[in-house]
Amino acid sequence: MEFKEVLGSRRSIRYYQPYRKVEREKIQMILEAARIASQAVNSNWAKAIVVNRDDISEDDREAIKTPTTTAQLDLAPVWIFWYGDMSAPRAGKTTLKQLVDVGALNPSHGWSHTYVDQVVWPQVLNPILENPTAIVAVTAVEAGLAICQAVLMAVDLGLGTSLSAFNGEKAKAVLNPPDNLLPLWLQLVGYSAESPDAGGARPRQPFEDLYFEGRYGVPFERDPEVVEMLEIEGMLQPKAPYPWRMDEVRALARMFGLPE
Amino acid sequence: MTLEEVGGYRSVQHWLEAHGRHWNRSAEEGERRQKLDVIRRYCEFTGRDPDFLISNLLRDTPEGPRIRLKRRREEIAKIGEFELAAGEGDARRGRNDGNVVRSFFIHNGVALTAAPFR
Repeated sequence: MEFKEVLGSRRSIRYYQPYRKVEREKIQMILEAARIASQAVNSNWAKAIVVNRDDISEDDREAIKTPTTTAQLDLAPVWIFWYGDMSAPRAGKTTLKQLVDVGALNPSHGWSHTYVDQVVWPQVLNPILENPTAIVAVTAVEAGLAICQAVLMAVDLGLGTSLSAFNGEKAKAVLNPPDNLLPLWLQLVGYSAESPDAGGARPRQPFEDLYFEGRYGVPFERDPEVVEMLEIEGMLQPKAPYPWRMDEVRALARMFGLPE
Repeated sequence: MTLEEVGGYRSVQHWLEAHGRHWNRSAEEGERRQKLDVIRRYCEFTGRDPDFLISNLLRDTPEGPRIRLKRRREEIAKIGEFELAAGEGDARRGRNDGNVVRSFFIHNGVALTAAPFR
């Protein structure tokens, strides 16, 4: 699939073919996509634990759910628990020097080993580590970038995927992550039982209400010709709901024995 | 309780109206009576009336009603028992009745669902 079409085709899939396993190599590809995401200080902020739904006991599965994430968890055969590593900045002392050594961070921009030791570590990274609000915010953003790539890779592989909330405390008892891992999202992966476009592109706020030019409040003007090109290339897709969407949802509910 | 009495409860009226609006269709009379009968039987099964079933799971807060999670878990288990009894060995039949009850709760603001058949 072309990149723009991957972006445009992503939907949060909530109905999966529960009986259809996902090939192990596809799961690896999802993780590989996350690993190469842009990451501050070139550290690894996102950690994941992959679990096959049926390898968890029913009691544990129930405990991990939140009130509105139940049916999709039951249906998706693969669960990827994403965590943010709040100790990631600690690696910065080493990883930033690696970037200097490979020519990514260069003296032309003021970078050197000494700068990392004398300025970046004590004045930037260490204060972030010691600030509970800052470390959570930075960890969530950086891990989110990696999770985003994992989601898009799943779409590119023809899989259904979505990010669901989960009970981090209960999951900790089952999965045993260390304390420095912040529970973020449960990525569900499987083959979609609903149409892959899930009834159309989701409603979004108008472009001009979100993006500005020069200063806040001055809308970045949206060029209709660009919009048209993105429609042709599959990034901007017809808006939900398609006329048959509610019938589809109803049929799926009935097939899986879910309430209406 | 008669079907007319069941249909007179505020929570039941809200459910039918919200359900019809969501799915863009009103239940025909036969379907409506069938649903009311399931709620009537569930009320008998639990010994509670429809409005109490809902209010029992919600508590008022300044931000709006909040779901009482422990009671919700108990209610989910109770619906499961009702479903089992209603099905008399036929899981699909039991599920249909159970899902009428679940729909009643859902459209009154109590999020819950069933374990999907798979």
